[in-house]
This record gives sequence, structure tokens and C-alpha cells, in this order.
Amino acid sequence: MSTTPDVLAGPAIQARPTTLSGRILQSLNKTPIHIMLGIVAVIWLAPTIGLLVTSFRPQADIQATGWWQTLGTLRFTADNYASVLNSQGMLRSFVNNLIISIPSTLLPVTIASLAAFAFSWIRFPLRDTMFLVIVGLMMVPAQVAFIPVLQLFQAVAPITGNLLTGFVPIWLAHTAFALPFGIFLLRNFFITLPKDLIEAARIDGASTIGIFRTIVVPLSVPAIAAYGIFQFLWVWNDLLMALVFVQNASNNPMTRQISSLLGQYGSEWHLLAASAFLLMVVPLIVFFSLQRFFVQGLLAGSVK
Amino acid sequence: MAKFPRLITLPIAAMLILSACGSSATPSPSSGASAPAGSTGTESTAPSGSAVTGGSITVTSLWGGSEQASFQKVLDAFQAKTGITAKYESVRDNYATALQTRISGGNPPDVAIMPGIGFLRHFAKDGSIVKIADLGIDPASLQANYAPGILDVGTVGGDLYGIMVKFNSKSTVWYRPDKLTAAGVQIPKDWDAFTAAINTLKAKGDKPLGLGAGDSWTLTDWFESIYVRQAGPDAYSKLFSADGDWTDPTVATAVKTMTDVLTDANVDGGIKAALGRKFLDGMAQVFSTNPTADMYYEGGFVGGLAIGANKALKPVDSINWFDFPSINGGNAVTIGGDVIAPLTKNPGVKEFIQYMTTADAGGVWAGTGAIISPVKGVPDSVYPNDLAKREAAQVANATAVRYDGSDLLPAGAPDLGAELQKAIQGQTVDWASFQTQVKTAWGNE
Amino acid sequence: MGFTPAAPAAEPAETGRKARKPKANENEGSNLKAAFFFLLPTAFLLLVFVVYPTIYTIALSFDRGRRGQFTQFVGFDNYVNLFTKDPNFIDFSHFPPSGALFNNVLWLVFYTSIVIFLGLIIAVLASRVRYESIIKAIVFLPMAIAATALAVIWRFVYDPSPQTGLLNAILGVAHVGPISWLGDPGFVNASLIAAGIWGSVGFATVILSAAIKSISTEVIEAARCDGANEIQIFRRIIVPMVSLPISVLAVTLIVNVIKLFDLIFVMTSGGPGTSSRVIAFTMYQESFPSGQFGKGAAVAVVMLVILIPVMVFNIRRFRTESVT
Repeated sequence: MSTTPDVLAGPAIQARPTTLSGRILQSLNKTPIHIMLGIVAVIWLAPTIGLLVTSFRPQADIQATGWWQTLGTLRFTADNYASVLNSQGMLRSFVNNLIISIPSTLLPVTIASLAAFAFSWIRFPLRDTMFLVIVGLMMVPAQVAFIPVLQLFQAVAPITGNLLTGFVPIWLAHTAFALPFGIFLLRNFFITLPKDLIEAARIDGASTIGIFRTIVVPLSVPAIAAYGIFQFLWVWNDLLMALVFVQNASNNPMTRQISSLLGQYGSEWHLLAASAFLLMVVPLIVFFSLQRFFVQGLLAGSVK
Repeated sequence: MAKFPRLITLPIAAMLILSACGSSATPSPSSGASAPAGSTGTESTAPSGSAVTGGSITVTSLWGGSEQASFQKVLDAFQAKTGITAKYESVRDNYATALQTRISGGNPPDVAIMPGIGFLRHFAKDGSIVKIADLGIDPASLQANYAPGILDVGTVGGDLYGIMVKFNSKSTVWYRPDKLTAAGVQIPKDWDAFTAAINTLKAKGDKPLGLGAGDSWTLTDWFESIYVRQAGPDAYSKLFSADGDWTDPTVATAVKTMTDVLTDANVDGGIKAALGRKFLDGMAQVFSTNPTADMYYEGGFVGGLAIGANKALKPVDSINWFDFPSINGGNAVTIGGDVIAPLTKNPGVKEFIQYMTTADAGGVWAGTGAIISPVKGVPDSVYPNDLAKREAAQVANATAVRYDGSDLLPAGAPDLGAELQKAIQGQTVDWASFQTQVKTAWGNE
Repeated sequence: MGFTPAAPAAEPAETGRKARKPKANENEGSNLKAAFFFLLPTAFLLLVFVVYPTIYTIALSFDRGRRGQFTQFVGFDNYVNLFTKDPNFIDFSHFPPSGALFNNVLWLVFYTSIVIFLGLIIAVLASRVRYESIIKAIVFLPMAIAATALAVIWRFVYDPSPQTGLLNAILGVAHVGPISWLGDPGFVNASLIAAGIWGSVGFATVILSAAIKSISTEVIEAARCDGANEIQIFRRIIVPMVSLPISVLAVTLIVNVIKLFDLIFVMTSGGPGTSSRVIAFTMYQESFPSGQFGKGAAVAVVMLVILIPVMVFNIRRFRTESVT
């Protein structure tokens, strides 16, 4: 029936189904599958589409009626997007988002890769213990770090200058909290690499860093890319860490800029809807363009 | 993307780090002679001289959107007058977190506008706020600018830490004039007339009340308005102080009065729905283009918000308010407002605080229609419409004025709004436990 | 079972501590040096940003913690108060208990299991159709959306008024009364868990889909030749072979549940009343808005303690995985 070898396709040899559910499952007619997947697609798209439609509706309409009723009146406006885009500082905060997100992705990817390699291919005492401690650190919520770390920054200010007016604190904070998961994921992948290849390189006299650079990294691109994507999405959408570690208003990322559009009393839905989509653009681009690495990458570390 | 140039990323990161350190030296465009807010430590390095020209300070509060635009006009007027730039930073979410972390990081904003007094007291007792007197401003000299009692609001332990800069009346019941007229309902002056009006509206098939109980502070406003009228302003002051006794029967009585009027029959959509609805959506029940209810009780700010969302509304014709009905003759007015507090002694801060106490600043701000100014010298004429004029008059002529109670409670107090949310569902509130927790919070201050 | 999963191709020196026999002796020294440099940035960052704050927090939990600093030693008071005097945290006075801690248990049980279940089903179904990657992309989409945006999205679904709320409008067509999904304490936790599931299924689907695809076809064909039916294949081949990724997934989800904060914060702030609070929210609430950092720290320590069994399980699984 299918042209590609489908792992779970209907068998050439039909076993006799003994139960009703067995029969249903075995049905060569894929209509039920299409229906179920259709329902899934609707459930997973409808709320987001609702938001998209809302973002094009005038504020008064949003208050009064549901978004599906717009299809009847067809009253759309680009005002909401205009308000968000034209608001003071939005472009700058978009750039800030990039300035914050890109190093906060590259740094942990780099550092975690190095560490994961050490934990998988370098022998040293207490290796396993240290690794397990790091895995345990995944459990620590970021909020506990706020006050102690800020006090640290203040304490070293006489030597380093006031770092909190720049981006260094947020880069380091994001990186630090991303490391445990990254090391966990990447080490899991690295240990599955062919041992012979690495042994051969060692025998040929390659340095440790050389092995890392020329063998491990190129073979691990899917896993590294997957981790990078996760990290990027997380940092891009973050609000709380930025609130705490970005203490200079001109460095505010978009998430904070967007929340400053709102009045004190709550949520102007029209602005939130439009800004939610503006915020989503870059993550979606990143996700779709790197999707194929992603799927392969997540395979790593959990299966064989 | 095959061979990720891993070793290149490190130098790139290094470059970015260096550039970030470099850019941190000039956070504001107009960093003149005075030390910018980002300098180390909280003390300014320039001598706290009198005449300061140029330079900038940072001001934060949790306003955003149109409120921010209105406030910006005041800041612009300040700059025009003194040459000092006051840069506004909106911290719309997690205001307490933002302030606390800025202070912990040695980076406090110069001036913070606080949304409540418990808030103010918390930071004052931490030592994070500079006393007004320490700035070189004599509190006694400010008395003349304000009605009696206004400055007391910002006083903690005998010292003036914060000055109220704006407020709204919380004794305004907003309604649709057309609906009430159509039902033949007169504006109720007292509680009995109010309940009668509700019944008349119900009889006509209308839903009398909108309610946004998902934002629990709306319930605290109901409670406070009822309590201050039922038990009297003095009992109110006591309740929201360290001597307050929440197990006192007056509390339960007020809650009962509240739950008697906030019922499934009176509230559009019922109580459970109201609990899932936020303040703005509750307002929309009455004032959207597709309204389903007739009256909405909340503060004076409702007018501006409703008209902003539904441009078709005309003040007085399609949207108006009446005084919260008196109970047993008691008709004290409650207000909610923000206080301004200095966090540093940087140059420009003193000038800014002083400016904010003038009728000048008050006039500019009140003229935007966003707020009512507590400054005495601000004439009624600056208010842009009838609704705001009446609001200012209501407070000026009130028999007694009290500050929003829930904003007076200490920062660590249990959530009054949450308890009231339980109450309107018919659950019994454990006031004894509440009292213990509140007492502890007052003690911990 | 009879089918052994294929052994991992590599067998790196997993026997860490045991491998101290002088195998390639001249490498020991350079190994240490190499390890040192590879781990230096990690060690620095983790010590400063994670380990130090954790120790600080543990110490702070025994203090009043004004301003987040050590101001007054209070011993175990914070913990005692948390478990006995704070009904919003945990209330044992009735059965079933209520409070933030209990809500986390609800999340733990329902969120984790349903996410894995749905992820697996969707992965299996999607693998049989040609538009598989579209389905996976659709289901994964919510992960690209910020928490505040998610709150807005769900507001339009859960709004109590049938005029503006999608679910209530649908119910209205069936003449079922409108339900206040986020305002009714009986529904609020279910509604939040549903929103959480919606956001996480994509993650599970992608992982499990990749896992399923790696099951070799021969094994399945052999089973079919032996007369196994679909359900047997599902239960006795597929499920065990994805048990590893499932447990990785479960661990990640469980950690997420304990740390759950964003969604609750933006959607209900723990309300109505306090019925949808979770412990991470309590920790935040006690620390920043209330300024009782000591109490917040105590909650944080409770969170870490809860996660110790998870950590132990994680460790055990590691050993088996590497030994295989």
C-alpha cells in the first residue's frame, strides 16, 4: 500500500485478530487514522489560529465577541500590529533579543559539548560521580540564584565595573542553567559514537582536542543542533531571567518591551495577541529551517 | 552546518562580552556631568549640590501602555523646566521582584513609584528608601500642598518616605444610563435603594452586575467600600493596621452584605464565571459593544479604560457613575493611589520629587485624564471630562477619605482577595487563621 | 520477551572508577590535564550560578531572610510553618488533602502519564501516513510560543462567557451550560493540566517518533511471521523498546512538573483563591512579593528534596543503560 517501507504498516501476512480492538487496529483502511490525526491537528491548531485571528481584530470586537464570529463580519485591522511595531523601542528590543539569545545559545552549546566529551571519552577519577552531580543540578530552579548571584555581581563590581548594566550577567546565567541538561543530553549521545574510530585516532597520535574537533563534533551535529534549538527557543521566550539580570532598560528584550505595552490593570488582548505573533516569528523560522537536524537529534541520547 | 566552527564561537563570544562591557558605560543618551544611574553603589559621586542642569535619573513604576504615555507628559514637562531628563522604565510584571533584584544588584532606580503602602513600608524598613527629609526636602513644607491626611499615607514610623502622586476614587459605581432609565431606575443613594434597583433590573430581565472576580482585588474593593460605610472610617483604619482584628463580627457582617449582593442571580454569568473573568473583561460585560450587564463597580479608572476600548461610548450619555451607596448614613470614600519614593540621592532626584509635589506637575498629569491629582492647587478645570471632574470633587468633598485597605496590609500578609474569592462561592472563611497570619505579617515587618 | 534490543555500538570506558588500572599509563597525566580544561568553564559556571546559590538557599531556609540576606536565625520554624500553619501549601485537615503540594501531585500523575500516552499514540499514528512531518510540526508548534502568549491563547478558549470563549461556545451549541474553566475551583486544575499537556505533547511525540523509527523492521516482520497481531506487537515489542526514551521523557517531565511556574503564574496566579497554586509558585510568592525569603527558601529546599528520588532513579537508569 505505501511506497516506502513503513515500519508499522499492515503486514503481508495477516494474522487472525482475536479481539475487536485488534480487528480495528489491523484495518487496512486508514480512514480512522486520518480522522484521529485530523482531530489532533484541529486541537493543536485551533487555539493558535484563534490568537492569530484575534490579532487582526479591533479591540472593541475582541471584547465583545469570539474570534470565530469574525468570519461572519470580516472586520479586520492591522492596527494592533502597527501599535506594537511602532511603539517606542520595539526595534531595539528585537535586536536586544538577538543579542541575548545568540550568545546564550552558542555558549552553552560549546561549553556543554566540551564537558560532555570529557565525561564520555576522557578517563579521569571521579568522573561518574561528577557527572551524576551535574545531572542532579538539573533540578535546581533558577529562582534560587537570583539574590545570591546578584549580590555576587555587586560584590565584584569594584573590580569588574558594574556588569549588570550590560549583557554579561544574562548570558552567564542562561548558560549556567542550561548546562546540566545539555551535558546530560550530549554525553548520552557521545557515548554511542563508534569506539573504533576514536581509538584509531588516538593511536594515530591525535590530541584530545583534535579528536573532539575532527571526529566527535562532526558526527554529533544532529544532537548538538537539537540542543541548540531547544536552548534558543527557551531563551528567546524568556521573561523572568531577563527581568532579573538585565538591569539596564535599553537592553531590555522584546518580552519585557511587550509587557510594558500593557496598562496596569491587565491585559489588552489586542496588543498581546499581535505581539505574541511578532515574538513567535523568529522561533518559528529557526524551528522550521533546522527541523531535520532536530528530529535526528532527539533520537540521540535516548535510543541506542 | 556540517562542521560547526566551534572554536570560532569562543572568540566571538569574547568579542561580544567586551563590547557589552564597553556599552554599559553609557546607558542613557544624555549622560551629562552627573553620574548616570548605572554607576557603582547608590551614592552619587558628585556633590549633592543645589542647581543641577542636565543629567538624568531613572523612574520606574508598573504603568505601561496609555498610562505610561500620560506620565511621559509629566516627565517631559519636568525636563522642559529643569533640564534634567527623567527616564521612565516600565516594569509591568513582577514589580516586587524587579525592585528587589535591582536593589540587591546595587542598581536601584533613582525613583520608584509604588502601588501600595504595604509595599512602601516593606522597602522602607529594609532601608532601601531614602527618607524625604534626607534628600533635603522639609516634609513640613509640603503640608500646604495637600489635604490633611494625604501625607500621612506615605509616612512610616514617623518619617516621610513616600508622597502620593496620583489616585483614583474607589467609590464609583459605573453604569449604563440608558439601561437604568429604560428600567425606570433612579440613581440609588443608599444600600436599600441599591438592592431595590438591582431587583428592578432583574425583573426587567436584565443582568444587573458585571464582575471580574478573577482579579481578586476587585473583591477587596467591594469589601472595603462596604466595610468603611457599615463599620465606619475609624473601624476601617483600625482593621487595616497592626491592631486590626479580623475575627471581629463587623468583618463577617460586611462579607455577608457583599455575598448577599454578589449572587448568581445578580451577577451576569454567575459567580463561577465571574471567578474566571479578569477585571477588564468584567468591565466589558457592561461597556463593550455587545454588553450583557448594566452596572460595574470599580474605581474611577474604569471610565478611561472603557472608552479607550469602545470608542462609541460617550461620557455621561452612555457611560456614567454614581457614588457607592451609603450604608446607614456612612459614605466615606476610599481611594487607591500610588506613592513616589526616592531610592537614591543622585542629583536630580530631589528636584524631581519636589516637582512632583507641585500643582504644575499635577495639572499636566490630570489634564491627560488618566489620574486625579492629590495636589491641592490643581484646578477642576484641567480635567478633560465631566466624569473626572466629578471624581475629583467627590474626593475633595468627602466626609472622610480612606486609602485602599488591601494596599495597606503588609507585604507578607495572607491574600485577602483569595479569601473573598472563597467567600463568594459560599465557602466559609477561616478568619481566625487569617488573623493569625496577618498578625504575624505585621510583626515581621 | 525473546527479543534483545541491540547493544549500543560503542563501549566507551564506562567503568569509570574501576578503570584506574594503569591501562595507558602515559595518558593518565595528560588525561587529567585534558579533562581539566574541558571541564573548566562548566565547573566555573555551575559552581557560581548553581551550586553556590543552592547552598545559600539551603542556609537561608533557616533564617528569616529579609531582603534575601541573612538577618535572623530561626531554625526549623520556616519548615514547621510550611507544613502545619500554611493551608495553602498543604492542608491535611481533610481528605483528599489540598494545597500547592497536592496540586503538584495531581500534575505529576496526570500530566506526565497523559503526555507520554498521547505522544506515543500520535507518534504511532503519524508514522502510518505520508503527512507525518506536518503532523509532528503542528503538534510541536506550541513549544515555540512564550508562556505569556500561551496564557492569552488559552484565555480565548477558556473564557467563561459563551460569547467569547471557544469551549463554552461549543458547549453552548450543545445546550450545555457555560463552565468557568479557570474560575471554578473544581475545574481549574484540570484546565491548567490540559493546557500544560497541550504544550508538551509535541516534545514527547517527536522523541517517541524517532525512537519508534529506530526499531528495526526485521524484528517486527519476524514477529508477524510468528503470528503476532498488532496489539501484541505494540505491547511486546514497541513499548519495551521505547521504554528507555520513555523513561528519559518521564524524568524530564517530572522535573518540569516540580519546577512548574510560568503557566500558573500567567494564567491564574494560583487562583481562584489558592486552588491552583503549585509549590514553585509558592516559593516565588513567598520570596519576592511577600519578602519572606526564608520561607521561600524552605519551599525551594522541599522542591529539591522531592526531586532526590527522581535523581536516584535517573542514576540507576544510567548504570543499566551504560552496562547494556
